[in-house]
Amino acid sequence: MKFPRPALAAACALAATALVAGCSSSGSPAATASSNQKVTLTFWSWVPNMQKIVDVWNASHPDIQIKFTEAAGGDAELAKLLTAGKAKDMPDLAQIEYQSLPTMVSNNYLADISSYDASLKSDYPAGIWDQVTLGTSALYGVPQDAAPLALFYRKDLFKKYNLAVPTTWAQYATEAAQLHKDDPSIYMGDTATTDAGLFAGLTQQAGAQWWSASGQSWSVGIDSAAAQKVASYWGGLVESHAVDSQTAWTASWDKSFSSGEYASWISAVWAPGDLVSQAANTSGDWAMAELPQWSAGQDVSGAWGGSATSVTSDSAHPQQAAQFIAWLNQSTQGTSLLVSDGSVYPASLTAESSSSLPAQTFMDQSDFYTLAKQYSASTAAATWGPDVDVAYSDFSDDFTSTVTTQAGYLSALSKLQAAVVADMKSTGFTVSGS
Amino acid sequence: MTTAPSLHTHDAAAPLTGARRVRPNGRGQRWNPSPRRMPYSFIAPAVVLFVVVFLVPLGYTVYLSTQKTQVEGLGLGANARKQVAAGFSNYTYVFHDGEFWQSVLRAVVYGCILIPIMLGLATAFALILDAQHVRFQRLGRLAIFLPYAVPTLIGSIIWGMMYLPAFSPINSVLHAVFGIQGINFFGSHIVYLSVANIGVWGGTGFNMMVLYTSLRSLPQETYEAARLDGANERQISLRIKLPMIRPAMIMTGIFSTIATLQVFNEPYAIHEISNGGVSTTWTPLMTIYKDTYTANNVYLGAAESIVIALLMFVLSIVVLRATNRQIFGGEAR
Amino acid sequence: MSAISLTTAAQGTAPRRRRRVSIIPTGVLLIGVVYALLPIVWVLIASTKTNTQLDSYAAFRPGNSLWSNFQGLTSYQGGIFWTWMLNTALYAGGGAILSAIVSALAGYGFAKYRFRGKGFFFTMILVGMLVPAVVLAVPQYLLVAKIGLANTYWSVLIPSIISPYGIYLARIYAGASVPDEIIEAARVDGSSEWRTFLRIGVPMMTPGLVTIFLFQFVAVWNNFLLPWLMLSSENKYPLTVGLFTLLDAGTSQPALYSLVLTGAFISILPLIALFFLLQRFWKVDLGAGSVK
Repeated sequence: MKFPRPALAAACALAATALVAGCSSSGSPAATASSNQKVTLTFWSWVPNMQKIVDVWNASHPDIQIKFTEAAGGDAELAKLLTAGKAKDMPDLAQIEYQSLPTMVSNNYLADISSYDASLKSDYPAGIWDQVTLGTSALYGVPQDAAPLALFYRKDLFKKYNLAVPTTWAQYATEAAQLHKDDPSIYMGDTATTDAGLFAGLTQQAGAQWWSASGQSWSVGIDSAAAQKVASYWGGLVESHAVDSQTAWTASWDKSFSSGEYASWISAVWAPGDLVSQAANTSGDWAMAELPQWSAGQDVSGAWGGSATSVTSDSAHPQQAAQFIAWLNQSTQGTSLLVSDGSVYPASLTAESSSSLPAQTFMDQSDFYTLAKQYSASTAAATWGPDVDVAYSDFSDDFTSTVTTQAGYLSALSKLQAAVVADMKSTGFTVSGS
Repeated sequence: MTTAPSLHTHDAAAPLTGARRVRPNGRGQRWNPSPRRMPYSFIAPAVVLFVVVFLVPLGYTVYLSTQKTQVEGLGLGANARKQVAAGFSNYTYVFHDGEFWQSVLRAVVYGCILIPIMLGLATAFALILDAQHVRFQRLGRLAIFLPYAVPTLIGSIIWGMMYLPAFSPINSVLHAVFGIQGINFFGSHIVYLSVANIGVWGGTGFNMMVLYTSLRSLPQETYEAARLDGANERQISLRIKLPMIRPAMIMTGIFSTIATLQVFNEPYAIHEISNGGVSTTWTPLMTIYKDTYTANNVYLGAAESIVIALLMFVLSIVVLRATNRQIFGGEAR
Repeated sequence: MSAISLTTAAQGTAPRRRRRVSIIPTGVLLIGVVYALLPIVWVLIASTKTNTQLDSYAAFRPGNSLWSNFQGLTSYQGGIFWTWMLNTALYAGGGAILSAIVSALAGYGFAKYRFRGKGFFFTMILVGMLVPAVVLAVPQYLLVAKIGLANTYWSVLIPSIISPYGIYLARIYAGASVPDEIIEAARVDGSSEWRTFLRIGVPMMTPGLVTIFLFQFVAVWNNFLLPWLMLSSENKYPLTVGLFTLLDAGTSQPALYSLVLTGAFISILPLIALFFLLQRFWKVDLGAGSVK
């Protein structure tokens, strides 16, 4: 019998099949440039029911077909996108949170679609439009949703404990202390440092800019006076036990809502959607009011989240892709589908006033959308830097459960500042100041 | 491992030295008694795959670790970022990074807790499964192995929920029965035990199976003699079986140690709900993950990976040298 | 054929009135069983609950919605859960079988032969164990994308075939279970090395190979990072990636959380079935097998 080399033969066969399979796989984007031929664009998004929305577009646009893949949310998806970018393997279209846009742009992963969609500018509040232009003349995406912060409170509990709806932070603090003293089993709410996005939004309201650019260098303002004001405020509340200090987004945190342990929630206008699952039994008990202000009579809010849809630099058909985005995020048909199927609160001004916004069933508030639009318009502008992910990740490391004093909050904040500056420098950025 | 007792029924084969005989078949093949090329054929598929799947990417990682990003100006815009050579600067950064070495220390502490417990349990269960007069062995084998089949993500989520302060069934039982306040499973020292518990739960079953398989391949006659001499099961297990599976235990220990120093899944899965008890850089692998994916600094991540790999390489070589003979005793020499 | 009669030995020394049961080992085993099964039972119970029940019921109190969860899971995106299940079976089954073959060949080669470079090659493979998957995943992905194989079945399958630990195990098992004398006897009989391996080595190594197969099967079944990076089409996802996407989507679509738990539980079932199927291989007593 010959020396059989079945193993080697198998290995060769495997390699050969791999190459063949590779040739027939769809790894690289189509190379056609003509806009009259049918193109298929890949699209990653985490919006619920996006497939249904895409189906509507596909039915009426046979020449521009969208192939949708459901993406995991947030930073997992961003990490995957960044890795795909290195391999030039990104989808044509992707949903990107506002705070991640600078990261994508600084890696040169987003296409400039200003020549296609710049005219949409008039339909968006300035603060939101700035998020997708990054203050330049380029356009890196079309805003999809807005997430202004507001105060959500339990009408029944406020009535029971004789609380007025706080309009200033000072009032919020007094009422929180009073509430917990009257009934130690209840808190006004949870502290604001359980979620980096929430805290960032609140510091924006106070006037802080975590990142800003001047000339050719960045500066980091995580430790600025305005941010310190917010940190010291919440640190004080925690230290005096006026608010709780629990990790957010866990089962026991959900329970704090459903059991009535928390009388209010500082959250964004997407809160009712979350409360439906967190505390279904409290349906009808919540109301929304403006976020407490630092000075009486002010009208400023911050934002917690929100995303845009962008065209990546790997796309061979930016024009068609930009067309789809404009339809999705700004057209009447697209936005009403987003609202009804995707449970999105739209950023577009016309969509915000539209009559097709679904009635709020969880909250008993007839002026919900009027108020939401107001808050969206009054959101302070935010500039994000190229390493938001690091900042958010370090945030949770610095604001741990053991940090429960005002001094602790302030020192966590300055630790965060130092970490973010160090990270930017080590990645090669020029950071001015501390 | 062990030298197998003489089981063959015919005499020892004719000496294999040099004699070449023609095999009586129609093709007139030569029979080479000392086949030189055959072992290479046997190990070829593994080696080829290994080169493709490990070595090439590893080489690429080494290359990446010598690069860094150069940013022009603000870094926004078409050509603002470039990959440039960085020599050993990434490595210098790693050696000076206190946080990184703290994560190494934490992994070592974690390992010192996890390994003895997990291997002790694995050995105990393996012996129990192989012993006589023990009931429920089939159930035990399946049940204890099963956690290994549960994805670490799910297992960690489940245990994480059992650790949540207000929610924990463990704490409510403790409160009801003993009146204790409740353990803070994410407290700065207890958190090691909490994370180790997830590792023990998930990993004992597999190690148990490896040791059990070794036990099953031991010849049963040895026990016969001992039983006739009046030894009970416990003595047989501890005095006879245990020493005979020592090589397997050592091997399992080494691999568990390597796997443990690479711990990532369990702490990562619970770090968000741990209220800071588990930080994002709690273990070296988490640090690497954070730098590679979150901070998008693939170059620093690559350097950190190489450093960790080297550490483990040194550790393994040292231990393997010491135990080589005991593990591979049953082989052609 | 089966193990040398343990019962005869027992009968020889113990009173016959009743079967002796060692209390302490049995007790320890039962405690181990409870500890091991507790969280799995939790997942089973959790899959019977709706989202509201998940929050409001006590941890081990069952709900009543197993069927509707199952339906919800099956109908999600037109039954993609089952596509994920099939994909996972492909990656895990294919990967594990090929891995067992490759490991068996390599283990036998290392254990039963002396050859130049043996130590070198083996150490090289050992080094592979030191490099964690998290570290290799990105370079593997970048290289695979360069040759255009990203988002293909092969991109997940090929890395699943090589398992340094499996090779190490195979070497141990080959050394322990295949006596040199048998091999030499076979050589004398005129068997080629390959036939010796196939007809004698493999059957004797079977329990070890089954362990290696099972180990790799579970490892690939539960692997997340590699397929998550390599694949961008949902219909190629394995269960881990699919359920993770479902879980993450669940933060904005809460109804999915109960589906994820149901999916997680269902994804364990094939592993249990596989384990039952393979159990009989662990009964083989090698000592008896080689008498022939």
